[in-house]
Amino acid sequence: MVSVINTVDTSHEDMIHDAQMDYYGTRLATCSSDRSVKIFDVRNGGQILIADLRGHEGPVWQVAWAHPMYGNILASCSYDRKVIIWREENGTWEKSHEHAGHDSSVNSVCWAPHDYGLILACGSSDGAISLLTYTGEGQWEVKKINNAHTIGCNAVSWAPAVVPGSLIDQPSGQKPNYIKRFASGGCDNLIKLWKEEEDGQWKEEQKLEAHSDWVRDVAWAPSIGLPTSTIASCSQDGRVFIWTCDDASSNTWSPKLLHKFNDVVWHVSWSITANILAVSGGDNKVTLWKESVDGQWVCISDVNKGQGSVSASVTEGQQNEQ
Amino acid sequence: MKLKEVDRTAMQAWSPAQNHPIYLATGTSAQQLDATFSTNASLEIFELDLSDPSLDMKSCATFSSSHRYHKLIWGPYKMDSKGDVSGVLIAGGENGNIILYDPSKIIAGDKEVVIAQNDKHTGPVRALDVNIFQTNLVASGANESEIYIWDLNNFATPMTPGAKTQPPEDISCIAWNRQVQHILASASPSGRATVWDLRKNEPIIKVSDHSNRMHCSGLAWHPDVATQMVLASEDDRLPVIQMWDLRFASSPLRVLENHARGILAIAWSMADPELLLSCGKDAKILCSNPNTGEVLYELPTNTQWCFDIQWCPRNPAVLSAASFDGRISVYSIMGGSTDGLRQKQVDKLSSSFGNLDPFGTGQPLPPLQIPQQTAQHSIVLPLKKPPKWIRRPVGASFSFGGKLVTFENVRMPSHQGAEQQQQQQHHVFISQVVTEKEFLSRSDQLQQAVQSQGFISYCQKKIDASQTEFEKNVWSFLKVNFEDDSRGKYLELLGYRKEDLGKKHIKEEKEESEFLPSSGGTFNISVSGDIDGLITQALLTGNFESAVDLCLHDNRMADAIILAIAGGQELLARTQKKYFAKSQSKITRLITAVVMKNWKEIVESCDLKNWREALAAVLTYAKPDEFSALCDLLGTRLENEGDSLLQTQACLCYICAGNVEKLVACWTKAQDGSHPLSLQDLIEKVVILRKAVQLTQAMDTSTVGVLLAAKMSQYANLLAAQGSIAAALAFLPDNTNQPNIMQLRDRLCRAQGEPVAGHESPKIPYEKQQLPKGRPGPVAGHHQMPRVQTQQYYPHGENPPPPGFIMHGNVNPNAAGQLPTSPGHMHTQVPPYPQPQRPQNGWNDPPALNRVPKKKKMPENFMPPVPITSPIMNPLGDPQSQMLQQQPSAPVPLSSQSSFPQPHLPGGQPFHGVQQPLGQTGMPPSFSKPNIEGAPGAPIGNTFQHVQSLPTKKITKKPIPDEHLILKTTFEDLIQRCLSSATDPQTKRKLDDASKRLEFLYDKLREQTLSPTITSGLHNIARSIETRNYSEGLTMHTHIVSTSNFSETSAFMPVLKVVLTQANKLGV
Repeated sequence: MVSVINTVDTSHEDMIHDAQMDYYGTRLATCSSDRSVKIFDVRNGGQILIADLRGHEGPVWQVAWAHPMYGNILASCSYDRKVIIWREENGTWEKSHEHAGHDSSVNSVCWAPHDYGLILACGSSDGAISLLTYTGEGQWEVKKINNAHTIGCNAVSWAPAVVPGSLIDQPSGQKPNYIKRFASGGCDNLIKLWKEEEDGQWKEEQKLEAHSDWVRDVAWAPSIGLPTSTIASCSQDGRVFIWTCDDASSNTWSPKLLHKFNDVVWHVSWSITANILAVSGGDNKVTLWKESVDGQWVCISDVNKGQGSVSASVTEGQQNEQ
Repeated sequence: MKLKEVDRTAMQAWSPAQNHPIYLATGTSAQQLDATFSTNASLEIFELDLSDPSLDMKSCATFSSSHRYHKLIWGPYKMDSKGDVSGVLIAGGENGNIILYDPSKIIAGDKEVVIAQNDKHTGPVRALDVNIFQTNLVASGANESEIYIWDLNNFATPMTPGAKTQPPEDISCIAWNRQVQHILASASPSGRATVWDLRKNEPIIKVSDHSNRMHCSGLAWHPDVATQMVLASEDDRLPVIQMWDLRFASSPLRVLENHARGILAIAWSMADPELLLSCGKDAKILCSNPNTGEVLYELPTNTQWCFDIQWCPRNPAVLSAASFDGRISVYSIMGGSTDGLRQKQVDKLSSSFGNLDPFGTGQPLPPLQIPQQTAQHSIVLPLKKPPKWIRRPVGASFSFGGKLVTFENVRMPSHQGAEQQQQQQHHVFISQVVTEKEFLSRSDQLQQAVQSQGFISYCQKKIDASQTEFEKNVWSFLKVNFEDDSRGKYLELLGYRKEDLGKKHIKEEKEESEFLPSSGGTFNISVSGDIDGLITQALLTGNFESAVDLCLHDNRMADAIILAIAGGQELLARTQKKYFAKSQSKITRLITAVVMKNWKEIVESCDLKNWREALAAVLTYAKPDEFSALCDLLGTRLENEGDSLLQTQACLCYICAGNVEKLVACWTKAQDGSHPLSLQDLIEKVVILRKAVQLTQAMDTSTVGVLLAAKMSQYANLLAAQGSIAAALAFLPDNTNQPNIMQLRDRLCRAQGEPVAGHESPKIPYEKQQLPKGRPGPVAGHHQMPRVQTQQYYPHGENPPPPGFIMHGNVNPNAAGQLPTSPGHMHTQVPPYPQPQRPQNGWNDPPALNRVPKKKKMPENFMPPVPITSPIMNPLGDPQSQMLQQQPSAPVPLSSQSSFPQPHLPGGQPFHGVQQPLGQTGMPPSFSKPNIEGAPGAPIGNTFQHVQSLPTKKITKKPIPDEHLILKTTFEDLIQRCLSSATDPQTKRKLDDASKRLEFLYDKLREQTLSPTITSGLHNIARSIETRNYSEGLTMHTHIVSTSNFSETSAFMPVLKVVLTQANKLGV
């Protein structure tokens, strides 16, 4: 059951490319081909424009909210090859940092789990992925993975902060020994998993091959305390795969086809409890998927123009798979 | 940026869009010779592997051909996408021949790769195109105005689109319309283009600008707009691209004049109609927007002319260009750094330069005008305009609270103009996603039950709806908690009716009483030497011990026991032991346990099949302070047993014990807790049990165990994910400082959308990284704080609970026995974390005033049956305890000002010690005065030690006698009045202090240790207070102080004076 509770007229003058709520679900950030980033207060079904951020010189592809423990921070990336980190100070949003280290469109930004500090991963059409780490006093350290995806990285998504081999709390006072990982997807049709080595360098850990066209988006599912890791990926080829890895040490991932759509699939997003996947396709359709008891992914709802209804696409999907 | 290169002088064709992986076919060009002047020809297939960072392309197959080609295309005909390669390669040859190749056979290395061949054409076949709607249709053009339409299903006999155009001329280009399948266009070097309608079988329009300088080298239809096409001119005098719209075919719609010399080839992107590639004799490869004429991109090429250029149909950012220097290069138009690739390119250039003069003619190949620009920028900028394929039109992202944010941009065909684009509304929708309706409705019911206190009916409903016997049992057990005589009901549930036992009991008593009257007659006291005589002698001398020994020796057990009763507790105990040592019957162990009150023994050692019986025994006999522990013990044994059935029964024991934490642990072990409904199952029970414990045992339910906290937060997370933020908040444990729970609480509170005043830094339970002076948040590592310190009583102040509930943690004998109660340590610590607005009546909220305080049933007035120390029944209780039971449990005004933080007191200590007259209502009478006394005749003073040692001092406080209660209420009322009219903090402090100090007076009243003159004087003062005659009160005060013993009154009289003086001053 999907019901629209708020319709926000963004007054963007061109296509919207991303819309993200903050950690609390009270503020909405949008970005558009009109080169602007806007922030709205959407509490209680309202919409108050808080900020209209200008600074990009090209279409803005994605926005990402940092965890509120670091303050009110929003990152945006654009076709203008820049990443801008915006920050609210005394009620005013301002540009806090500009990262111009890419040679082509920056297509995706994603903040690392807050446990690691302020780290932003950026994927670009120049094929590189850069990692910006806040080192204090307005300084950002940049690490770059060149040639991560030939002719372009389209998406980056961090693995949740899970301490290996332990589901219970670490002994207090001791800094947990996190292993930082993220996934990226690109125009080489690959999903790649990256891991930070002990020397702080990023290394390609795994290549996941199943898509036959550009990987448009990857989404690492939030951790719900289970040892299984899950990644969703979607592609120009219309396919959505769910990748699972039951054993972190062996690091073997197996794909399961969620559905083959008739058009490009642009975006996948997990619910906070990691049990529902929202899939946005090129046919302007949004569908919600849930894993049934027997492990099959079932479309539970079509979200079209906000009109929620159970669709017949389950059967349609099965036919396509056959 | 250049991705790949192949050293071939060749025509090129990409594999169709459907094909994966991507292949590039090259066929030796008929029009050029390379430096070797070789006329060998070949057809090759390369794979585009972008995961390989090198510039080389992997050659998959080479087929030596007898033909050289003017045109090569790869059609998707009969593509079933099973194999890696499919479709059909169609080549236009030099001598009017068209050859069809099977690319899969080429790759397989087959000898027979030609599907069909036809040389119907005259002259070289320079133009070929596949109909995208009917992929079996191929159009071809050659000399003499020849155009044929080939049906690949019937390749032998081509059709014509109509009569040949006159005068006869070469056909240099041919193209099918991209929108209308029966429309075909052809163009010739003369500059004329003709549009054919295959249904009419005739040309329908001729396009020419009459300049006679157009020399058509390229023709392409608009990918989206059916009536538009472009023509490119090879003529250096008119190096233009003309954009035509057939609706105004008199002159070109737009002319693109971006090349300096003639254009050799064009390609219009199918993925983005705003991208048109063109390459010319000015050695440039340009990407322009044919709709505006703007140059979006200039490919960084070397100085060579390109004679063929193609978009990759599958990867829209990729294109290939064939240049006269014998090379096919694959580029990306997305820019990017060439740093990694450049070195290699330079190497290759220099090495190929070495071979430029293989014949030693001394004449290198012409440099083609423009000097080499080797010093290129290492950074290649992308297209000025983002290509359509990276503009994400739609998106849906989840956010906290089960919200889904969606946006979509209705796809606009670009020709419909920018003005329409702007009219488009750019909306973002926020939707609520609810997937667990049953879960929500059950959660709702649970909340309603908690709010309405309708626990019994809730449990009953659950019992009625139960699917399994076990479920039914659990709910029955839970329900009993809310009923009177819960232990009795538990027993009933276990199959033991108290009434039955009672009846039997009465019967026994009757039998006994029948015997008693017979003692009326006379009897002999024999002191003979037999055993009877010896016993008699021992009795007569009061030597019970010897008498008992004698009886035992003679195996006269009953006599021994009876005598031992008379001989006192110690003797009785010894005798019992001896008896049990001798006796061997089956139920002895039970009797032993009953008599010795050693329930632990039963619970620990009974056969687990008899768990019901063990539980029944515990229910019947165990004292309140050990009851829970025993139930726990039994539960633990059951749980540890491998039998899954018994494991589930352990839940029942934990319910009896009121042990929420263990219930959770046991339940979690037995059930799959990941499903929302199964979690709901658990939470229902837990919540109800906690309520029961709260109501019946006045236990400190605010402490939440780790496991329970984890489950509750999981539950709250689930509720939140379904959008029930308020419910999630209500269920979230609020007095734990586990970081994840506090973080969730913070998130929930703020998600509810209550405004944050001003721009205060958000109070979030994290260490603010960039605000070093922020108070230390409860980050990981803080949760080892002693849990008791985090208990909060009622930090909101406005809802003081009824007194009956206030004392949890202190009053309960169980708690008292387990926790050393040091005054004050239970008290509120400032919550480390703010608690903004909380929903009313959360399940773990303190009971609000509007709730009718339930009369407690457990364990205050539960009295375990008197241990069988005597066959003669003791009269129930003693007068003292009966009197206490009659005490109104009505709340004595319990000086709320001292129990609750009073934020409005500026500077005042926010919290006070807990040494309040707490005992009043919660004091269990059965403990204040044990009703178990020694048997009649036993040496005096033999009461049970354990009872006396159990409670702390506070608990043994007696209530103030009724007649003196008026003193307390009057004084406290006066202090209250003074407090409310006092303004300065100093006075308030004084009054608070006075209120505390008056406790000494109340204590003395309880003990009844004050002399009658003092108490009567105090009553006089109270009366004067009631008439507001404080000066009279003060006079009386002076009188008492002067006439009484100083040590008797010094603890409270000065304080009383302060109060009276203040009252006088304030005139309250």
